[in-house]
Amino acid sequence: MKKALIFLLIVFAVGCQKKYVKAPSEPVKTESAAPAEVKAAADKKGAAEEKIYPKSAEIKRDVLEKKEEVAAKEESVFKDALFDFDKYDIRADARPVLEGIALWLKKNKDVNIVIEGHCDERGTNEYNLALGEKRAKAAKDFLSALGISASRAKTISYGEEKPLCSEQREECYQRNRRAHTTLQR
Amino acid sequence: MKEVRSQKSEVRIFLSVFCILYSVFCILTFAYAKVYIDITSPALRKLPVSFIPAGQAEAKEITEIVRNDFDFTGMFSPVDANIPGAEVKISIEAAVSGQKVTASVAVMDLLENTEILKGKYTAEKTSLRLLSHHISNEIFKAITGQNGIFRTRLSYIANISGKKELHLMDWDGHNDRDIGSRGLIVSHNWSSGGDYLTYSSERNKEWGIYLLTLANYKETFLFSSRELNLAGGFSPSGSIVFSSSRDGSPEIYTMNSDGSNVKKLTRSIGIDVSPAFSPDGSQIAFVSDRGGTPQIYLMNSDGSGIRRITFEGNYNTSPSWSPDGKWIAYVGRKEGLNQIFIVNTDTGDAGQLTDKGNNESPSFSPDGMFIALDSDREGAKGIYIIHIKGGWQKRITPKGMRAATPRWSPYLK
Repeated sequence: MKKALIFLLIVFAVGCQKKYVKAPSEPVKTESAAPAEVKAAADKKGAAEEKIYPKSAEIKRDVLEKKEEVAAKEESVFKDALFDFDKYDIRADARPVLEGIALWLKKNKDVNIVIEGHCDERGTNEYNLALGEKRAKAAKDFLSALGISASRAKTISYGEEKPLCSEQREECYQRNRRAHTTLQR
Repeated sequence: MKEVRSQKSEVRIFLSVFCILYSVFCILTFAYAKVYIDITSPALRKLPVSFIPAGQAEAKEITEIVRNDFDFTGMFSPVDANIPGAEVKISIEAAVSGQKVTASVAVMDLLENTEILKGKYTAEKTSLRLLSHHISNEIFKAITGQNGIFRTRLSYIANISGKKELHLMDWDGHNDRDIGSRGLIVSHNWSSGGDYLTYSSERNKEWGIYLLTLANYKETFLFSSRELNLAGGFSPSGSIVFSSSRDGSPEIYTMNSDGSNVKKLTRSIGIDVSPAFSPDGSQIAFVSDRGGTPQIYLMNSDGSGIRRITFEGNYNTSPSWSPDGKWIAYVGRKEGLNQIFIVNTDTGDAGQLTDKGNNESPSFSPDGMFIALDSDREGAKGIYIIHIKGGWQKRITPKGMRAATPRWSPYLK
């Protein structure tokens, strides 16, 4: 019973993660691995989620795997690059974040990324979509300057449409003003 | 007899029938000679009106909707029929036959003891609200000489437990329905005849521009690129103005309503978004940060003659034209909050319309008397209507419901 509950919780957490919230965990787990393995891991995860009635042995293995993934997620190299209000220039504190992503991309040459640009809820929707695009592109340009081919990074803006949090405090606004990197699938 | 049905796909067909039958069968007397309320006057006096239902129970319901319509405008003060003081008396009698309701309406000028309007209106029992709003329009026209906005609607984005849906509702907030939840939808706008909406939608990490035909809710794809593409408004002749970053930076473009004939109008390194055609189609208002901060600019519809029209504050966005093309309502940031302002496009005269909470997404009513907007003044962001002369503001979406970016329809037939 307890195990089933934990399993459900973890599946839920991983499910959310996959949809949107945080960077994928595979990169960390397989940091030095060949790209083919990264892909295999991603496929395996997809397959596991499609299973409707997993046997109990499989559940155990899934729980273990997913625990590792959740733990790995915490130290992901795909951190968010944060921005100042109504600005889209790369801040000093965002440089090491993007440098880490560039380093990882150099090690994993066959993997491409999507950079999402986001804004806080202040300001109007359309202007924020444009601002989000500028942020995503600023991050992409920064990666290009570090030697990452522009063809490996797609950008998309979500403006203020997909906030990480919705409290009306600067701490939350700051979390939402971000360029968020995910793997292209 | 006239027929009023609310079935969405039949609206157009029935309306042409409605209009023809209307002119043939209706006994109507209009007294336009006298204008009882000059709604363009700066010092608006509220006209005292009494409402008297008679006949079957439906009369009460219709009268209540009509009374709310009139009360809602802020131009009339409903007066109890038993208390003297009313200058105009509106009598509504209803008779039900099968599935149909017939309302007999009589409007009297009590000061001169003359009949201003007399008419009969028939509709399906299920379309009482539409019938009532139609009656409101007829009475409003008889009293003010102007077209009423009682059958107009608003499109907006409803946030239903985190899921954002495109909705349509009557101008009084009733008759709300979800009309499209295909992906994330932003920047929706009405065509000038009220037959179409255009909007941008994100699908598979691409922003495309789409056209929705309201008669059958059929969606047509118009434009996409790998970058951000945001729908703007329609011109009276049906062109669509939009912004796209397909050449790297968001610029303003126009295209035909089938997506053909794409023309680039602006070239700047910064952000150019939120374009809107003036009501006569000769000019385009848009937002640009070419001067360092987002401000409202105007240009001719071919992209020439770009000029800035907002100078106060460092964050002015979301331009919306008044129907006469003389004013632009916009969102300006003041003391850390977003407020609605209007600016005269000729003189540059400006005024502030809101001061509580954050207020965004202004959209003029087709008669130019009201502005719809979204506001968080009472907590969750909801849709409000304000009178442009100030003083009078009202929330039309239910309290606590998260709703934003209203767009007011043109007059609907």
